[in-house]
Parts: sequence; C-alpha cells; structure tokens
Amino acid sequence: MVRDVPSSGGDSPRPDSEHREQGGYDITDEYDMPAEVDATFRTLRRVAFGYFALFVVVVAAVPGLTLALDWWSQGRLVGGMSPSFVMAAFGLYVFFFALAVAAATLANAVEDRMLGGPEREHPEQRGDAP
Amino acid sequence: MITASIIGLAALLLVVLGIALVLQPRGASTLDFYLAGRRVGVVTNACAICGDYFSAASFLGVAAAVYVSGLDGVWYATGFAAGFIPVLLFVAAPLRRFGEFSIPDFLGRRLTSDRVRLTAVCVVQLIILSYLVPQAVGSGITWELLVGHGIAGLSPYATGVIVSTAAITALVALGGMRGTTWTQAVQFLVLLCAFIWLTVAAIGSGFHYPEAVDRLSEQPLTNPTATEEGQWHLETEQDRIDGEDPATFGEPGARYGSLGQFALIITLIMGTAGLPHIMNRYFTSPTGLAARMTTVWVLGLASLFYALAVLLGTAARSLIPGAAAEHAWMEELTVDGVLKVPEHALLVLGRVYGGEIGLGFIASGALIAVMSTIAGLLLASAASWGHDVYERHINPHASQRQAVWAGRGAVVLVAVLSAAVAVGLRPDSLTALLPSIVATMVTWAFALAGSALTPVFILTIWWQRTTAPAAITGMITGALTAITMFALGTVYGDAGLSEMLLTPTIVAAPLSAVVTVVVSRFTTTPAELDRLWLKLHGTAADRHTLRLARLTITGVTRRSKEAP
Repeated sequence: MVRDVPSSGGDSPRPDSEHREQGGYDITDEYDMPAEVDATFRTLRRVAFGYFALFVVVVAAVPGLTLALDWWSQGRLVGGMSPSFVMAAFGLYVFFFALAVAAATLANAVEDRMLGGPEREHPEQRGDAP
Repeated sequence: MITASIIGLAALLLVVLGIALVLQPRGASTLDFYLAGRRVGVVTNACAICGDYFSAASFLGVAAAVYVSGLDGVWYATGFAAGFIPVLLFVAAPLRRFGEFSIPDFLGRRLTSDRVRLTAVCVVQLIILSYLVPQAVGSGITWELLVGHGIAGLSPYATGVIVSTAAITALVALGGMRGTTWTQAVQFLVLLCAFIWLTVAAIGSGFHYPEAVDRLSEQPLTNPTATEEGQWHLETEQDRIDGEDPATFGEPGARYGSLGQFALIITLIMGTAGLPHIMNRYFTSPTGLAARMTTVWVLGLASLFYALAVLLGTAARSLIPGAAAEHAWMEELTVDGVLKVPEHALLVLGRVYGGEIGLGFIASGALIAVMSTIAGLLLASAASWGHDVYERHINPHASQRQAVWAGRGAVVLVAVLSAAVAVGLRPDSLTALLPSIVATMVTWAFALAGSALTPVFILTIWWQRTTAPAAITGMITGALTAITMFALGTVYGDAGLSEMLLTPTIVAAPLSAVVTVVVSRFTTTPAELDRLWLKLHGTAADRHTLRLARLTITGVTRRSKEAP
C-alpha cells in the first residue's frame, strides 16, 4: 500500500507539464490521492490479467484443438475452409479487436470513476459562477 | 530495369525528404526531436506505429509464409497482430503516464538506478541491431529486384543498402520524431492501399477465397527445392504433426510441429511489447488515455492488414500456377507453377494484375516498409544513445542544442554501422538463402525483446516490489537464455525440441520473470516508491493535459467570437 500523500498532475518537472497560470488559477491543481490510485491500480490489474487469461486461452485453443479434434482442422465450414483456418484467417482478428475495445472501455471507465472525482474539478468546469 | 519503378522510387524519396524538411523541429529541443513534443494524435500515431511495425517481414514475408506453408504461415500474421494485446493491457497507458524518453529511461527512472538504465541500453541496442541489419539487407535485395543497377561501381545490392539507409538517415536526422511520424503514417497508408488494390484485383479476376483454400487443401503441399547441381524440382512437404502423411495447405504441420506452433506464437506475442522503436512511439501521445486508444486503433488496422496478407498469400498459391502458363516471364521464377522464392509472391501478383507499373508499385511498397521501419529503429537508437547515455551520463549539463546534435550524431553512427554490417553480411553466393536469413533475424529480435525486456517491463509496471538488482538480473537472464537457446537451435536444426530453441521466448521469458521476482524478494525497493507509483498509475497528468487543451480551445473560441 502506498502512503496517503496527495500527488498533483505535474508532480515531476516534465517539459510538457510546466506549472503555469492559466485563466486566473493554477492549471496544475489536478491531483490523485494515493489510496485511490492504489485501489484503481489493483482493479486495473485484475482487469488486465483477466482479459489476458481469456486472450491466452483463445489463442492457444486454435492450434490446440487441432491436436484434440480432427474436425477442427479437417472439417469444412461454408465455402470449404476448415474451422481452424477460418479462426486463424478471420476469427482471431475479430476477437483481438473486440477484446481490445472491451478492455480499453472498461479500463477507461474504471479510471474515470475511481480517479479525479467531480468534486475536484474547477468551479468553472462545473458551470458554477466564478 | 523498370522505368516506372525508378520514377516512383525517386518520387517517394523526394516526398520523404520534403516532409522531413517541412516538419523538422522548429527549436533545438530534445522533447521535439525525440517525441514530437508529445502532441501526436490517436489516429496519426496509430498509423505511424503501423508504418513503424510493418517491415518487409510483414509486407512480403507474411504472404510468403502463407504461400509456402499454408496455415502454419498464418501464425506469423496472428502473432504479429496479437502482440499488441499485451501492449494494450499492460504497457501503453502506464508507460506514457510515466512520461520518459525511451525504455531504458523508463526503467532507470522507475527503479531509480543508472545501472538498470545502462543494462537496458545494452539490451535495447542488441534488439535494434538485430532488427536494423535485416531491414538494411531487405532494402538491398529490393533495390536489386527493382532497379538492378549499382551506382559508382557498387553492386546493386550495396547501392540499395546505402541509398535507402542514407535517405532515411537524412529524414530522421532532419525531421526527428515529428517528420518521422508523418512519413511513417503516409507510408502505412501506401502499404494498405497496395494490399487493397491487389485484393480487389484478385477477387475481380475470379479468385474465391474459401473455395481456393478448399481446393488447395485437397492435394499435398509441394515447394521447389534445388539440388546440388542447381536443378529445381518440386518436393512434397511432410506433415510435422502427423509424421508420415504429406502436409496440406489448409491444415497445420507443413512448417511446425505441435510445440513449434505454440513457441512461435508466444515469441511474437511477447516480443512486440519489448520492441524499442514501437514502445518509444507511445511517449509521443499527449496522455495515457490517448496511448491506450492508439493501441486499439493499431489492433484494428493491424488486423485488417494481416487478414489481407493471409488472403493474398492464398491467392498467390491459387492463381500463380494458372498465370505461369500464360506469362512467359514467369518461367524462370517458377517450377511447375510454384515460385522458387516465396517472397516474390506479391511482386508477381502485382505484375500479373498491373504490368510493370503494378510490379513497381508493390516493389516500392516493399522498400517503403523497410525504410519506415529503419526510420523508427534509428530514432529509437538515437534516443537510447543520445538521451540515455549522452545526456544522462556523459554530459549531464548538456544544453538542449548539444543534446539534439548528440541524437543526430547517434542516428548517423548507428546507420553507418548497420549499413556496413548489412553490406558485409551478404556474399553474392548466398542469394537464395537471404530471405530466410532476414526472417530469422527479425524473429531473433522478437525473441530477444520478449525474453529480456517484456517480463521485466511488465513486472516494473504492475508489481511494486520489483527492485533494480532484480531487473538487471532478469534482463541479463532473459537475454543470455535466449541467445544460448538460439545458438543451440541453429546448430541442431528446427525439428522436434529444436523448434523451441529457435523461438526461445517460451522458456526464456518465464525464467526471466521468475528470476526477477526471486531477486526482488531479497533486495530493497527504490526510495520514493509512492511518488513513482502515483506517476505511473495516477491520471492527474492526463486530466491536467485535457484541462489545458480545453482552456486553449475555450480561449480560441472566445477570441474568435470577440473578433469583429
């Protein structure tokens, strides 16, 4: 666990995140609480390893089923391709893209909900009077 | 010699140099030179990553692998595309959020250790050289096929190596990451257009994909073999899974046994996350979120690209026997309708459907693929030498101008070294073996990256307890295991267990990870770990950048409304 020390978005002297004054307030006032980051990190780690396990199982299954099922490499689907060829030539790419979209969407949602809550946004962004 | 090809190639080189001159960094800033100011958009970066990633091994090699070994060749396409899934899940967003200049810089800062940085520099340079030399060799071979003439007394091959390396060195040294990004994005679109054109032409000529696979799978798979007397004949491929039976196009076993198929896929999947020229591109994204979404786009584009490559490899196998009977120029390229050199598959299709212009287009595409990958590799090497070694160790007080010039100097030095090795590597008597040497060296780069860098990389991002001594031990263990297994594999051939020796990541990566974890248990984590962890997994910097962008847009909109 990390200690409960807040960290701002510009916590390092990176050239692209200089501390500047913009519009009358400090734009580097974004920060993360360590406890929140720790919880988010653990959630994202579960998500990443869960999706990776699914990915490994599916990818390994395509050549693996050849050893277990004759039908997988010798059967014919519509048009004459074997199920194994259909998966390798098309199916896996569709799977990769679907998995990528699902994983990225979930990771973005987790970060959005668990970090940078609305109470931290500048009043101007919430639509309040300055 | 093909006039249309020469004109196309000259135009390509002029466009590339023009883009480099127009987009060269305005100020002498290392951030601009190495990372394009961290302002590369999602789609642009995805196209640039694809241009960077799709080398000749992808453009000509995947279709060739499918052509020569059917379903077993498809695994190359699968592995190359699948490699971006671990990048998406484990690397892209945290790597960008930490926000350094290169993989060694990231590891050095995350583990607060100069030794880690220098060890990673050595590993990265090994990977880059393993990848760079075969690209230079590929450019020489392509020039030889495309132009067929040397300059100033040089052989066509040596001329190709030198001209393409010199052009790309000029692009990278002048344009830095900004110029390289745009040229790579354009180059990828050219490669994709070439594939789409060939696919439309093949289907338009009556090619039916599923029926072709079915028909090809009904007969034994045969490929040309040369005897010692130089006579060519067709030889039936044996099924390496079932043993005695002949292999067929649509079933596995023509190239790899059961173990070999898994070992190849794992090597390619794990290797991508450790390729320095690809990972460096993630530092150019404005935010971690953009880096993540960039990878999703890359997966979509790579899936389309590799699916077309597999289709075209099948089309070549199905259509070339018929075309060989109609075109006299194919006689010297084929044996009973089967190509002697499988890497010629797309080039032949290009000439069949588009005449000399079609051949020139596809051959220029091959050279584009080589050049865009060389550009990425040179830039990654420059970042490693110029930033990680020169700025961090040799001259820590260097001005921005000095650091940029150090990077440019590193680009030139590495380019000269790789070109010299490539020219020296290719004796003319080995012409027939070179394509396999190119493919072998690229696979070796993936194996080294996946064995030495990827396990340590993932552990430093996702396991807080990772320590500097453990990372060093893990990288060295992975590299040495991969090198030893690969050397043994080249001695003992590629059958049985030796298949695993030539694609060693399946053993070397887990070993590297275990060593890293065990050593971490007995050593101390870096100081200020909490701050580093917040930087790696927090999103405050992302939100800060987005807020800055919103404020800029708001300001611009307000000013435009107030303007009379």
